Amino acid sequence: MKVSRIALTAGLVAAGLPAMAQDLSIGVKSEATSMDPQFHQLSTNIQVLKNVFEALTTQDANQMVGPGLATEWEAVDDTTWRFKLREGVKFHDGSDFTARDVIYSFCRVPLVENSPSAYTLYTAGIANMTAEDDHTLVVETQSTNPLLPAEIWSIAILSADTLGAEDEIAYAPEGNCEGMGDVPQAPAFNSPDVAVGTGPYILDTYTRGSEMVVTRFDDYWGGTPDWARVTMRPITSDGPRVAALLAGDVDMIESPPIQDIGRIEQAGFKIVDALSNRIIYLHMQQVEDAPGISGTDGKNPLMDARVREAISLAVNREAIADRIMGGYAQPAGELLPPPMFGTSGREVDAYDPERAQELLAEAGYPDGFQITLGTPNDRYINDEQIAQAVAQMLARIGIDTRVDASTASQFFSRRNALEFPIYMAGWGAASGEMSSPLKSLVATYDEATGMGPTNAGRYSNPEMDAVLIEAMSTIDDAERDRLLQEAETMVLEDYGIIPLHYEQTVWAMKPELTYEPRMDQYTMASEVKPAE
Amino acid sequence: MTDSIASDLEPVGTPAPARVDHPAKRVAKQFVEDPVAVVGLVLFLLVALVALLAPVLAPQNPYDLAQLDIMDGGLPPGEASFGTGMTYWLGTDTQGRDMVSAIMYGLRISLFVATVSLGLAITIGTVVGVTAAYFGGRIDSLIMRIVDLQLSFPAILIALILLALLGRGVDKVVLALVIVQWAYYARTVRGSAIVERRKDYIDAARCLALSDRRIMFRHLLPNCVPPLIVVATVQIAQAIALEATLSFLGVGVPITEPSLGLLIANGYDYLLSGRYWISLFPGIALVVTIIAINLVGDRLRDVLNPRLSS
Repeated sequence: MKVSRIALTAGLVAAGLPAMAQDLSIGVKSEATSMDPQFHQLSTNIQVLKNVFEALTTQDANQMVGPGLATEWEAVDDTTWRFKLREGVKFHDGSDFTARDVIYSFCRVPLVENSPSAYTLYTAGIANMTAEDDHTLVVETQSTNPLLPAEIWSIAILSADTLGAEDEIAYAPEGNCEGMGDVPQAPAFNSPDVAVGTGPYILDTYTRGSEMVVTRFDDYWGGTPDWARVTMRPITSDGPRVAALLAGDVDMIESPPIQDIGRIEQAGFKIVDALSNRIIYLHMQQVEDAPGISGTDGKNPLMDARVREAISLAVNREAIADRIMGGYAQPAGELLPPPMFGTSGREVDAYDPERAQELLAEAGYPDGFQITLGTPNDRYINDEQIAQAVAQMLARIGIDTRVDASTASQFFSRRNALEFPIYMAGWGAASGEMSSPLKSLVATYDEATGMGPTNAGRYSNPEMDAVLIEAMSTIDDAERDRLLQEAETMVLEDYGIIPLHYEQTVWAMKPELTYEPRMDQYTMASEVKPAE
Repeated sequence: MTDSIASDLEPVGTPAPARVDHPAKRVAKQFVEDPVAVVGLVLFLLVALVALLAPVLAPQNPYDLAQLDIMDGGLPPGEASFGTGMTYWLGTDTQGRDMVSAIMYGLRISLFVATVSLGLAITIGTVVGVTAAYFGGRIDSLIMRIVDLQLSFPAILIALILLALLGRGVDKVVLALVIVQWAYYARTVRGSAIVERRKDYIDAARCLALSDRRIMFRHLLPNCVPPLIVVATVQIAQAIALEATLSFLGVGVPITEPSLGLLIANGYDYLLSGRYWISLFPGIALVVTIIAINLVGDRLRDVLNPRLSS
């Protein structure tokens, strides 16, 4: 009797848990464009492929850099780094991980064809890589790069043997490595035989438009992974994704629409959220004869810092965060949320429409002017609604604003063609420090040096450029921090760009799960744990 | 058989009318015999009146961004504004737009787009259809193959592609609707014109050496009007629905000037969270408008159909 009761209890526990404890199913917002981890620098790819492939370093939920396939590293001098590689690491096909695999992986990056957004950004500055022994690697950079350990988190380590490399691989920049063999291209990675990494999960199947399945890698160096099988299903529409969670089809979803969070919580699900590294900002075209402005006799009012300040003061950021974002956003006074690296703790611009009108009058536009505000309508959380609210607020100080909303693909190509005098967009700092938004959004646009690639406002401040360039080649953290703060302050005091708010990223899951919310907004299956 | 012919010729009971009514009067008389159709007509006139007088009737101009206050966003029906104290009888959308005003202006856009595109599409369709029927032969074949080609694609698909290329805007929606609709009218007019063309009065007109144009538009066309009216009433409801669909899909009118379809789309995101009013009320307005037009259209079809008239 006693025995059977224990057996029964055990049976009940076993019956209640196994489905949960072994399998995990996640509803993601969009699917990976390829299974090749070096093909497309896109968050939807990175977040799923990090389960299968690893890098020399890791970034935790707060984007702090930690050891990965490299256990420790040191800067030997300004341009030389020595990495100690982890021993006893195996690839999914059983082969051993050595320095040769690392060199092969970095060599392959420039050889990937047709990449929509290449990883060469991170490998172009590497002058040489040599293996002192199987587990010691020396990396030489062309110029001083304090961000190297953070940046190489993006370079997935592949198995040289599986991909058909020769025994000796010699590094050379710009895809001139020797001994690479016949390098497989992105489509080959749809096969689990090619997509071999060292990560906690093995690629099982990838069915485009339907699902990606990974299974547990029992020989993982970091201990046995939590789930026997993880399914990631792309459910692009918000409503159906929420419905899938409520119906129990998936155990967890990313980015539930914030207006539905109350309902999800009522249904007994768990919500976690974190401030993200993504800033939503307004950028203004600061060149003569910008399009889409009228009522100014052909002048571009945005050239005047007073007009830009007026725009900033006219926006009621609290109201946007509260009414449109349902509290899941934080008004921003900087380009990264403090206390991230390089932030100065600048105050959020207070809502002051009277002062804004005075500034407009001082600048010579007492009756305002007409302008077109560009925005994507499917890229950021409630983007179209925010743009409308901004237009509403600008209308109150006399700037008659027309909202031109289009889908993300249309918006970005039109923005890059400088079609919008003022536009709203977002920027997530992959490296987690201030140099990322400064370099991309406000550094003087220069195709040759790769500065200001996303500066579609064409803001240009040579003094700021100088400070930024100095910061980017300073290894000493305290000094770099100071320089970045200085550069950021110069831009923001000049109202070269107007920060609106930091997005907050939300995940909803069954109460039996836990997830430490990540600032980089990634949904990483390997970090989803069963709740204690 | 002979009986029925006899009874057709000599109606029993009712005395034959002394003089023949004007066709419009006859149609009006028969139309009012159906109370449901009258209700439809009254509803439609009401809707049209509201749309026409929206700037006078609406408590707020929902297209003037300066009149909106985001702090009033998402208020349920019956709540008062924080700022001005005015009551939002049907609530507000997330931008703080009064739903009553938004629906009035939305109806205005929907009806404007539908009637303007209808007018243009009828004009083009009629000219093309009569031309095809009157001249026949190769011209007819060519025109009708083009019509066939266009009708073989779903209207929504053509409109979506056009608007994706043209961008948003009321004028662009009108253009897209004209392009997808003219073929219906061309085909309808051609059908009835081919029948009329063989009748004696056309031969008579030809004998008088009247110009082709005069015969086509003064003699042929007036006799093709009844089926055209029927198709037009059905199509205007279709046009309203199509505009709403396009706006719902985010390719129609600009977001700061929502039509009914866009209002429904805006509210759709909030349905799960319980803010039903943003979608529900514009939805009701849209349904009522389309039903009213369809009731009128159905009755007109019955009255104008020569096979059904006694």
